[in-house]
Amino acid sequence: MISVLALVTESSQNPVAELCGKFGVNWPFFIASCLNFVLVIWVLKKFAFGPIQAMLEQRRERIAEGEDKLKAIEKQLAESEQTTAAAIAKASDDAMRMINEAKLGAAAFSEQKAQEAIAHAQQILVKAEAAAKADRERLSIELKREFGRLVAATAAQATGKILTADDQLRINETALTKVEA
Amino acid sequence: MRFIFPTTAVFFLTPLAALAGGEAEAAGLPLQAQAIWPGLPITNSMVMVWIAVALITLFCRAATKRMALVPAGFQNFAEWVVESLYDFLSSILGGYMVKKTFWFFGSIFLFILVSNLLGLIPGVGTIGRYNEHGHIVGFLRGGNADLNMTLAMALMFAVLWFYWAISENGVKGFLVHIFAPKGDFHGLMLMFMVPIFLAVGVLEVISIAIRPVALTFRLFGNIYGGEQTMDKLMELVPKSLAFLPALPFYFMELLVGFVQALVFMLLTAVFLRLICEHAGDEHH
Repeated sequence: MISVLALVTESSQNPVAELCGKFGVNWPFFIASCLNFVLVIWVLKKFAFGPIQAMLEQRRERIAEGEDKLKAIEKQLAESEQTTAAAIAKASDDAMRMINEAKLGAAAFSEQKAQEAIAHAQQILVKAEAAAKADRERLSIELKREFGRLVAATAAQATGKILTADDQLRINETALTKVEA
Repeated sequence: MRFIFPTTAVFFLTPLAALAGGEAEAAGLPLQAQAIWPGLPITNSMVMVWIAVALITLFCRAATKRMALVPAGFQNFAEWVVESLYDFLSSILGGYMVKKTFWFFGSIFLFILVSNLLGLIPGVGTIGRYNEHGHIVGFLRGGNADLNMTLAMALMFAVLWFYWAISENGVKGFLVHIFAPKGDFHGLMLMFMVPIFLAVGVLEVISIAIRPVALTFRLFGNIYGGEQTMDKLMELVPKSLAFLPALPFYFMELLVGFVQALVFMLLTAVFLRLICEHAGDEHH
Protein backbone atom coordinates (compact mmCIF):
# COMPACT_ATOMS: atom_id res chain seq x y z
CA MET A 1 0.00 0.00 0.00
CA ILE A 2 2.87 2.35 0.81
CA SER A 3 4.48 1.57 -2.55
CA VAL A 4 1.14 2.40 -4.14
CA LEU A 5 1.20 5.69 -2.29
CA ALA A 6 4.68 6.44 -3.60
CA LEU A 7 3.57 5.60 -7.10
CA VAL A 8 0.50 7.71 -6.65
CA THR A 9 2.37 10.82 -5.66
CA GLU A 10 4.82 10.46 -8.53
CA SER A 11 2.31 10.16 -11.30
CA SER A 12 -0.75 12.25 -11.54
CA GLN A 13 -1.76 10.28 -14.60
CA ASN A 14 -2.49 7.36 -12.34
CA PRO A 15 -6.21 7.16 -11.41
CA VAL A 16 -5.25 6.19 -7.86
CA ALA A 17 -3.06 9.29 -7.71
CA GLU A 18 -5.95 11.38 -8.88
CA LEU A 19 -8.16 9.80 -6.25
CA CYS A 20 -5.58 10.45 -3.52
CA GLY A 21 -5.16 14.01 -4.74
CA LYS A 22 -8.93 14.50 -4.66
CA PHE A 23 -9.10 13.24 -1.07
CA GLY A 24 -6.06 15.22 0.01
CA VAL A 25 -3.86 12.21 0.77
CA ASN A 26 -0.19 13.16 0.76
CA TRP A 27 2.98 11.98 2.45
CA PRO A 28 3.52 14.71 5.06
CA PHE A 29 -0.05 14.57 6.34
CA PHE A 30 -0.12 10.80 6.16
CA ILE A 31 3.08 10.51 8.23
CA ALA A 32 1.77 13.14 10.64
CA SER A 33 -1.41 11.08 11.04
CA CYS A 34 0.65 7.94 11.66
CA LEU A 35 2.65 9.77 14.33
CA ASN A 36 -0.52 11.10 15.91
CA PHE A 37 -1.97 7.62 16.07
CA VAL A 38 1.25 6.22 17.52
CA LEU A 39 1.09 9.00 20.11
CA VAL A 40 -2.47 8.00 20.98
CA ILE A 41 -1.41 4.37 21.37
CA TRP A 42 1.55 5.35 23.54
CA VAL A 43 -0.58 7.61 25.75
CA LEU A 44 -3.30 5.01 26.18
CA LYS A 45 -0.84 2.20 26.80
CA LYS A 46 1.21 4.18 29.31
CA PHE A 47 -1.49 6.07 31.18
CA ALA A 48 -4.62 3.97 30.73
CA PHE A 49 -4.29 0.35 29.70
CA GLY A 50 -1.09 -0.35 31.65
CA PRO A 51 -2.10 1.00 35.07
CA ILE A 52 -5.75 -0.02 34.74
CA GLN A 53 -4.95 -3.56 33.67
CA ALA A 54 -2.36 -3.82 36.44
CA MET A 55 -4.99 -2.61 38.92
CA LEU A 56 -7.57 -5.05 37.54
CA GLU A 57 -5.03 -7.86 37.77
CA GLN A 58 -4.12 -6.83 41.32
CA ARG A 59 -7.81 -6.78 42.24
CA ARG A 60 -8.35 -10.14 40.57
CA GLU A 61 -5.46 -11.57 42.58
CA ARG A 62 -6.85 -10.06 45.77
CA ILE A 63 -10.26 -11.53 45.05
CA ALA A 64 -8.72 -14.92 44.23
CA GLU A 65 -6.65 -14.68 47.40
CA GLY A 66 -9.78 -13.77 49.36
CA GLU A 67 -11.62 -16.69 47.81
CA ASP A 68 -8.78 -19.03 48.76
CA LYS A 69 -8.79 -17.66 52.29
CA LEU A 70 -12.56 -18.05 52.45
CA LYS A 71 -12.25 -21.65 51.29
CA ALA A 72 -9.53 -22.29 53.90
CA ILE A 73 -11.71 -20.70 56.59
CA GLU A 74 -14.70 -22.75 55.48
CA LYS A 75 -12.54 -25.87 55.57
CA GLN A 76 -11.25 -24.95 59.02
CA LEU A 77 -14.79 -24.24 60.16
CA ALA A 78 -15.98 -27.59 58.82
CA GLU A 79 -13.06 -29.33 60.53
CA SER A 80 -13.74 -27.38 63.71
CA GLU A 81 -17.42 -28.33 63.53
CA GLN A 82 -16.45 -31.95 63.04
CA THR A 83 -14.00 -31.78 65.95
CA THR A 84 -16.60 -30.06 68.12
CA ALA A 85 -19.26 -32.59 67.14
CA ALA A 86 -16.86 -35.43 67.90
CA ALA A 87 -15.92 -33.85 71.24
CA ILE A 88 -19.58 -33.31 72.08
CA ALA A 89 -20.37 -36.90 71.10
CA LYS A 90 -17.47 -38.17 73.19
CA ALA A 91 -18.51 -35.97 76.12
CA SER A 92 -22.06 -37.20 75.75
CA ASP A 93 -20.90 -40.81 75.73
CA ASP A 94 -18.70 -40.17 78.76
CA ALA A 95 -21.54 -38.44 80.53
CA MET A 96 -23.92 -41.32 79.75
CA ARG A 97 -21.33 -43.79 80.92
CA MET A 98 -20.76 -41.80 84.08
CA ILE A 99 -24.48 -41.50 84.67
CA ASN A 100 -24.93 -45.23 84.18
CA GLU A 101 -22.00 -45.93 86.44
CA ALA A 102 -23.41 -43.52 88.98
CA LYS A 103 -26.81 -45.15 88.69
CA LEU A 104 -25.28 -48.58 89.14
CA GLY A 105 -23.13 -47.33 92.01
CA ALA A 106 -26.11 -45.63 93.60
CA ALA A 107 -28.21 -48.78 93.24
CA ALA A 108 -25.45 -50.91 94.76
CA PHE A 109 -24.90 -48.41 97.53
CA SER A 110 -28.62 -48.17 98.15
CA GLU A 111 -28.88 -51.96 98.24
CA GLN A 112 -25.90 -52.16 100.55
CA LYS A 113 -27.39 -49.52 102.85
CA ALA A 114 -30.75 -51.24 102.74
CA GLN A 115 -29.14 -54.52 103.61
CA GLU A 116 -27.22 -52.84 106.36
CA ALA A 117 -30.41 -51.22 107.61
CA ILE A 118 -32.23 -54.54 107.48
CA ALA A 119 -29.37 -56.23 109.31
CA HIS A 120 -29.29 -53.45 111.83
CA ALA A 121 -33.04 -53.64 112.29
CA GLN A 122 -32.84 -57.38 112.70
CA GLN A 123 -30.11 -56.94 115.26
CA ILE A 124 -32.30 -54.41 117.07
CA LEU A 125 -35.22 -56.83 116.91
CA VAL A 126 -33.12 -59.68 118.22
CA LYS A 127 -31.80 -57.47 120.96
CA ALA A 128 -35.29 -56.26 121.72
CA GLU A 129 -36.64 -59.74 121.73
CA ALA A 130 -33.80 -60.89 123.96
CA ALA A 131 -34.37 -57.97 126.27
CA ALA A 132 -38.08 -58.63 126.29
CA LYS A 133 -37.49 -62.30 126.97
CA ALA A 134 -35.05 -61.48 129.76
CA ASP A 135 -37.54 -58.99 131.21
CA ARG A 136 -40.32 -61.50 130.96
CA GLU A 137 -38.21 -64.15 132.61
CA ARG A 138 -37.14 -61.74 135.28
CA LEU A 139 -40.74 -60.66 135.84
CA SER A 140 -41.85 -64.24 135.76
CA ILE A 141 -39.26 -65.11 138.37
CA GLU A 142 -40.22 -62.12 140.46
CA LEU A 143 -43.91 -62.90 139.98
CA LYS A 144 -43.39 -66.52 140.89
CA ARG A 145 -41.38 -65.44 143.85
CA GLU A 146 -44.06 -62.94 144.91
CA PHE A 147 -46.82 -65.38 144.13
CA GLY A 148 -45.09 -68.08 146.15
CA ARG A 149 -44.59 -65.70 149.00
CA LEU A 150 -48.24 -64.67 148.88
CA VAL A 151 -49.41 -68.26 148.59
CA ALA A 152 -47.14 -69.26 151.48
CA ALA A 153 -48.32 -66.30 153.53
CA THR A 154 -51.92 -67.06 152.73
CA ALA A 155 -51.44 -70.72 153.50
CA ALA A 156 -49.67 -69.86 156.75
CA GLN A 157 -52.50 -67.57 157.81
CA ALA A 158 -55.13 -70.10 156.77
CA THR A 159 -53.54 -73.02 158.54
CA GLY A 160 -52.10 -71.02 161.33
CA LYS A 161 -48.93 -72.91 161.43
CA ILE A 162 -45.45 -71.89 160.54
CA LEU A 163 -44.42 -73.37 157.20
CA THR A 164 -41.03 -74.83 156.63
CA ALA A 165 -38.88 -74.06 153.67
CA ASP A 166 -39.80 -77.39 152.12
CA ASP A 167 -43.46 -76.73 152.66
CA GLN A 168 -43.21 -73.32 151.12
CA LEU A 169 -41.35 -74.74 148.16
CA ARG A 170 -43.86 -77.52 147.67
CA ILE A 171 -46.87 -75.15 148.02
CA ASN A 172 -45.23 -72.69 145.56
CA GLU A 173 -44.57 -75.35 142.96
CA THR A 174 -48.06 -76.75 143.28
CA ALA A 175 -49.57 -73.28 142.96
CA LEU A 176 -47.35 -72.36 140.04
CA THR A 177 -48.11 -75.62 138.27
CA LYS A 178 -51.81 -74.91 138.57
CA VAL A 179 -51.40 -71.24 137.48
CA GLU A 180 -49.31 -72.15 134.49
CA ALA A 181 -51.72 -74.90 133.51
CA MET B 1 -35.75 -0.84 15.25
CA ARG B 2 -33.32 1.45 17.03
CA PHE B 3 -30.53 0.23 14.81
CA ILE B 4 -32.48 -0.33 11.62
CA PHE B 5 -33.48 3.31 11.23
CA PRO B 6 -30.05 4.90 11.57
CA THR B 7 -28.41 2.19 9.52
CA THR B 8 -30.94 2.58 6.73
CA ALA B 9 -30.67 6.34 6.91
CA VAL B 10 -26.89 6.16 6.67
CA PHE B 11 -27.19 3.77 3.74
CA PHE B 12 -29.35 6.19 1.79
CA LEU B 13 -27.78 9.41 2.95
CA THR B 14 -24.16 8.48 2.43
CA PRO B 15 -24.40 8.39 -1.39
CA LEU B 16 -26.32 11.66 -1.17
CA ALA B 17 -23.52 13.15 0.83
CA ALA B 18 -20.96 11.72 -1.54
CA LEU B 19 -22.78 13.32 -4.44
CA ALA B 20 -22.76 16.55 -2.53
CA GLY B 21 -19.10 15.98 -1.85
CA GLY B 22 -18.46 15.90 -5.58
CA GLU B 23 -19.29 19.57 -5.64
CA ALA B 24 -17.47 20.13 -2.39
CA GLU B 25 -14.76 22.13 -4.03
CA ALA B 26 -17.35 24.79 -4.73
CA ALA B 27 -19.52 24.57 -1.63
CA GLY B 28 -20.06 22.60 1.58
CA LEU B 29 -17.49 20.52 3.39
CA PRO B 30 -14.40 19.92 1.24
CA LEU B 31 -13.19 16.34 0.74
CA GLN B 32 -9.68 17.25 1.93
CA ALA B 33 -8.65 18.52 5.28
CA GLN B 34 -7.66 22.19 4.96
CA ALA B 35 -4.72 24.11 6.33
CA ILE B 36 -5.96 26.13 9.30
CA TRP B 37 -4.15 29.13 7.83
CA PRO B 38 -2.78 29.54 4.29
CA GLY B 39 0.85 28.41 4.14
CA LEU B 40 0.74 26.68 7.54
CA PRO B 41 1.44 22.91 7.24
CA ILE B 42 -1.15 22.09 9.89
CA THR B 43 -4.60 20.94 8.83
CA ASN B 44 -7.84 21.44 10.74
CA SER B 45 -8.27 17.66 11.17
CA MET B 46 -4.74 17.44 12.56
CA VAL B 47 -5.62 20.01 15.23
CA MET B 48 -8.70 17.98 16.05
CA VAL B 49 -6.59 14.84 16.46
CA TRP B 50 -4.24 16.70 18.81
CA ILE B 51 -7.21 17.86 20.84
CA ALA B 52 -8.42 14.25 20.96
CA VAL B 53 -4.96 13.10 22.08
CA ALA B 54 -4.87 15.83 24.74
CA LEU B 55 -8.33 14.94 26.04
CA ILE B 56 -7.51 11.24 26.15
CA THR B 57 -4.25 12.02 27.96
CA LEU B 58 -5.98 14.27 30.48
CA PHE B 59 -8.73 11.74 31.13
CA CYS B 60 -6.24 8.90 31.51
CA ARG B 61 -4.09 10.93 33.90
CA ALA B 62 -7.13 11.91 35.94
CA ALA B 63 -8.33 8.32 36.02
CA THR B 64 -5.04 6.68 36.93
CA LYS B 65 -3.20 9.30 38.98
CA ARG B 66 -4.36 8.07 42.37
CA MET B 67 -5.55 4.57 41.75
CA ALA B 68 -7.24 2.73 44.60
CA LEU B 69 -8.26 -0.86 45.05
CA VAL B 70 -11.81 0.33 45.59
CA PRO B 71 -12.39 2.47 42.48
CA ALA B 72 -14.38 5.69 42.38
CA GLY B 73 -15.10 8.50 39.93
CA PHE B 74 -12.95 8.63 36.80
CA GLN B 75 -11.05 5.51 37.79
CA ASN B 76 -14.29 3.58 38.05
CA PHE B 77 -15.43 4.73 34.62
CA ALA B 78 -12.03 4.11 33.01
CA GLU B 79 -11.86 0.64 34.52
CA TRP B 80 -15.36 -0.12 33.29
CA VAL B 81 -14.42 0.99 29.75
CA VAL B 82 -11.13 -0.90 29.66
CA GLU B 83 -12.50 -4.06 31.26
CA SER B 84 -15.58 -4.13 29.02
CA LEU B 85 -13.43 -3.63 25.93
CA TYR B 86 -10.98 -6.27 27.06
CA ASP B 87 -13.70 -8.84 27.75
CA PHE B 88 -15.43 -8.05 24.46
CA LEU B 89 -12.19 -8.43 22.49
CA SER B 90 -11.35 -11.53 24.46
CA SER B 91 -14.56 -13.14 23.23
CA ILE B 92 -13.43 -12.49 19.65
CA LEU B 93 -9.68 -13.01 19.78
CA GLY B 94 -9.38 -15.42 22.68
CA GLY B 95 -7.48 -14.91 25.91
CA TYR B 96 -4.04 -15.45 24.41
CA MET B 97 -4.27 -13.06 21.45
CA VAL B 98 -6.09 -10.34 23.35
CA LYS B 99 -3.23 -10.12 25.84
CA LYS B 100 -0.84 -9.42 22.97
CA THR B 101 -3.00 -7.09 20.93
CA PHE B 102 -5.32 -5.24 23.31
CA TRP B 103 -3.15 -2.13 23.29
CA PHE B 104 -3.86 -1.71 19.56
CA PHE B 105 -7.56 -2.60 19.41
CA GLY B 106 -8.39 -0.71 22.60
CA SER B 107 -6.55 2.35 21.31
CA ILE B 108 -8.18 2.22 17.91
CA PHE B 109 -11.69 2.03 19.39
CA LEU B 110 -11.19 4.79 21.92
CA PHE B 111 -9.40 7.08 19.50
CA ILE B 112 -12.01 6.71 16.76
CA LEU B 113 -14.85 7.14 19.25
CA VAL B 114 -13.36 10.26 20.84
CA SER B 115 -12.50 11.76 17.43
CA ASN B 116 -15.96 11.07 16.07
CA LEU B 117 -17.72 12.56 19.08
CA LEU B 118 -15.42 15.60 19.12
CA GLY B 119 -16.31 16.19 15.48
CA LEU B 120 -19.93 16.69 16.55
CA ILE B 121 -19.22 19.53 18.95
CA PRO B 122 -21.00 22.64 17.66
CA GLY B 123 -18.50 24.94 15.96
CA VAL B 124 -16.40 22.16 14.48
CA GLY B 125 -16.45 22.86 10.74
CA THR B 126 -18.57 25.96 11.14
CA ILE B 127 -16.17 28.30 12.92
CA GLY B 128 -13.26 29.25 10.70
CA ARG B 129 -12.08 31.59 7.99
CA TYR B 130 -13.43 32.32 4.53
CA ASN B 131 -11.41 30.88 1.63
CA GLU B 132 -10.85 32.41 -1.78
CA HIS B 133 -14.23 31.04 -2.92
CA GLY B 134 -15.98 32.78 -0.06
CA HIS B 135 -16.73 29.57 1.81
CA ILE B 136 -15.95 28.86 5.42
CA VAL B 137 -12.90 26.69 6.12
CA GLY B 138 -13.37 25.45 9.67
CA PHE B 139 -10.52 25.77 12.12
CA LEU B 140 -11.48 22.30 13.24
CA ARG B 141 -12.61 19.24 11.31
CA GLY B 142 -13.49 15.73 12.48
CA GLY B 143 -10.30 13.69 12.80
CA ASN B 144 -11.75 10.81 10.82
CA ALA B 145 -13.17 13.09 8.13
CA ASP B 146 -9.59 13.16 6.83
CA LEU B 147 -8.54 10.25 4.64
CA ASN B 148 -4.91 10.59 5.83
CA MET B 149 -5.98 9.63 9.36
CA THR B 150 -8.17 6.68 8.42
CA LEU B 151 -5.54 5.47 5.94
CA ALA B 152 -2.85 5.74 8.63
CA MET B 153 -4.85 3.59 11.01
CA ALA B 154 -5.78 1.04 8.35
CA LEU B 155 -2.20 0.71 7.07
CA MET B 156 -0.78 0.42 10.56
CA PHE B 157 -3.24 -2.35 11.22
CA ALA B 158 -2.23 -4.04 7.95
CA VAL B 159 1.44 -3.98 8.98
CA LEU B 160 0.63 -5.27 12.48
CA TRP B 161 -1.69 -7.89 11.00
CA PHE B 162 1.21 -9.28 8.93
CA TYR B 163 3.50 -9.18 11.95
CA TRP B 164 1.06 -10.99 14.25
CA ALA B 165 0.03 -13.45 11.53
CA ILE B 166 3.63 -14.46 10.78
CA SER B 167 4.79 -14.41 14.41
CA GLU B 168 1.93 -16.71 15.40
CA ASN B 169 1.85 -19.02 12.36
CA GLY B 170 5.37 -18.74 10.95
CA VAL B 171 5.90 -17.98 7.26
CA LYS B 172 5.04 -21.53 6.23
CA GLY B 173 1.96 -21.67 8.46
CA PHE B 174 0.86 -18.31 7.13
CA LEU B 175 1.07 -19.49 3.50
CA VAL B 176 -0.54 -22.81 4.38
CA HIS B 177 -3.36 -20.97 6.09
CA ILE B 178 -4.06 -19.01 2.93
CA PHE B 179 -3.42 -21.52 0.15
CA ALA B 180 -3.68 -25.03 1.62
CA PRO B 181 -6.90 -27.07 1.31
CA LYS B 182 -9.10 -26.81 4.39
CA GLY B 183 -10.58 -30.16 5.37
CA ASP B 184 -9.53 -33.78 5.43
CA PHE B 185 -8.88 -34.67 1.79
CA HIS B 186 -6.93 -37.65 0.53
CA GLY B 187 -5.82 -39.13 -2.77
CA LEU B 188 -7.67 -38.04 -5.88
CA MET B 189 -9.89 -35.67 -3.94
CA LEU B 190 -6.82 -33.88 -2.60
CA MET B 191 -5.40 -33.52 -6.12
CA PHE B 192 -8.71 -32.07 -7.20
CA MET B 193 -8.97 -29.68 -4.28
CA VAL B 194 -5.41 -28.28 -4.42
CA PRO B 195 -5.96 -26.07 -7.51
CA ILE B 196 -9.32 -24.94 -6.19
CA PHE B 197 -7.82 -23.85 -2.88
CA LEU B 198 -4.90 -22.20 -4.67
CA ALA B 199 -7.44 -20.10 -6.56
CA VAL B 200 -9.25 -19.43 -3.28
CA GLY B 201 -5.89 -18.39 -1.82
CA VAL B 202 -5.40 -15.87 -4.63
CA LEU B 203 -8.84 -14.46 -3.86
CA GLU B 204 -7.89 -14.35 -0.19
CA VAL B 205 -4.73 -12.38 -1.05
CA ILE B 206 -6.83 -9.91 -3.03
CA SER B 207 -9.23 -9.70 -0.10
CA ILE B 208 -6.34 -9.06 2.30
CA ALA B 209 -5.00 -6.32 0.01
CA ILE B 210 -8.42 -4.67 -0.21
CA ARG B 211 -9.09 -4.72 3.54
CA PRO B 212 -7.10 -1.57 4.41
CA VAL B 213 -8.74 0.30 1.55
CA ALA B 214 -12.20 -0.81 2.69
CA LEU B 215 -11.42 0.10 6.32
CA THR B 216 -10.08 3.49 5.22
CA PHE B 217 -13.01 4.50 3.04
CA ARG B 218 -15.72 3.01 5.27
CA LEU B 219 -14.72 5.13 8.24
CA PHE B 220 -13.94 8.22 6.22
CA GLY B 221 -17.14 7.89 4.15
CA ASN B 222 -19.38 7.52 7.16
CA ILE B 223 -17.91 10.39 9.12
CA TYR B 224 -17.46 12.73 6.20
CA GLY B 225 -20.89 11.75 4.85
CA GLY B 226 -22.52 12.50 8.19
CA GLU B 227 -20.90 15.90 8.46
CA GLN B 228 -21.73 16.72 4.85
CA THR B 229 -25.33 15.61 5.35
CA MET B 230 -25.80 17.89 8.32
CA ASP B 231 -24.03 20.71 6.50
CA LYS B 232 -26.34 20.39 3.51
CA LEU B 233 -29.45 20.02 5.64
CA MET B 234 -28.57 23.26 7.42
CA GLU B 235 -28.45 25.05 4.07
CA LEU B 236 -32.03 24.00 3.27
CA VAL B 237 -33.61 26.47 5.71
CA PRO B 238 -33.03 30.07 6.73
CA LYS B 239 -29.92 30.55 8.87
CA SER B 240 -31.97 31.28 12.01
CA LEU B 241 -33.54 27.81 11.76
CA ALA B 242 -30.44 26.06 10.42
CA PHE B 243 -30.10 23.87 13.53
CA LEU B 244 -33.57 22.36 13.10
CA PRO B 245 -33.28 19.95 10.14
CA ALA B 246 -29.86 18.80 11.30
CA LEU B 247 -31.02 18.06 14.83
CA PRO B 248 -32.41 14.51 14.28
CA PHE B 249 -29.34 13.58 12.29
CA TYR B 250 -27.17 14.97 15.04
CA PHE B 251 -28.42 12.26 17.40
CA MET B 252 -28.00 9.72 14.64
CA GLU B 253 -24.41 10.88 14.16
CA LEU B 254 -23.75 10.29 17.85
CA LEU B 255 -24.77 6.70 17.24
CA VAL B 256 -22.84 6.51 13.97
CA GLY B 257 -19.72 7.77 15.74
CA PHE B 258 -19.96 4.90 18.21
CA VAL B 259 -20.98 2.29 15.64
CA GLN B 260 -18.14 3.18 13.28
CA ALA B 261 -15.59 2.93 16.09
CA LEU B 262 -17.04 -0.44 16.99
CA VAL B 263 -17.12 -1.60 13.34
CA PHE B 264 -13.50 -0.61 12.71
CA MET B 265 -12.33 -2.38 15.86
CA LEU B 266 -14.54 -5.42 15.26
CA LEU B 267 -13.43 -5.88 11.66
CA THR B 268 -9.75 -5.51 12.46
CA ALA B 269 -10.13 -7.94 15.37
CA VAL B 270 -12.00 -10.45 13.21
CA PHE B 271 -9.38 -10.21 10.46
CA LEU B 272 -6.71 -11.01 12.99
CA ARG B 273 -8.77 -13.80 14.52
CA LEU B 274 -9.23 -15.41 11.11
CA ILE B 275 -5.50 -15.59 10.42
CA CYS B 276 -4.47 -16.51 13.99
CA GLU B 277 -7.28 -18.98 14.61
CA HIS B 278 -5.09 -22.08 14.80
CA ALA B 279 -2.26 -20.33 16.59
CA GLY B 280 -4.66 -19.10 19.26
CA ASP B 281 -6.17 -22.57 19.65
CA GLU B 282 -2.73 -24.15 20.12
CA HIS B 283 -1.89 -21.65 22.84
CA HIS B 284 -5.18 -22.37 24.59
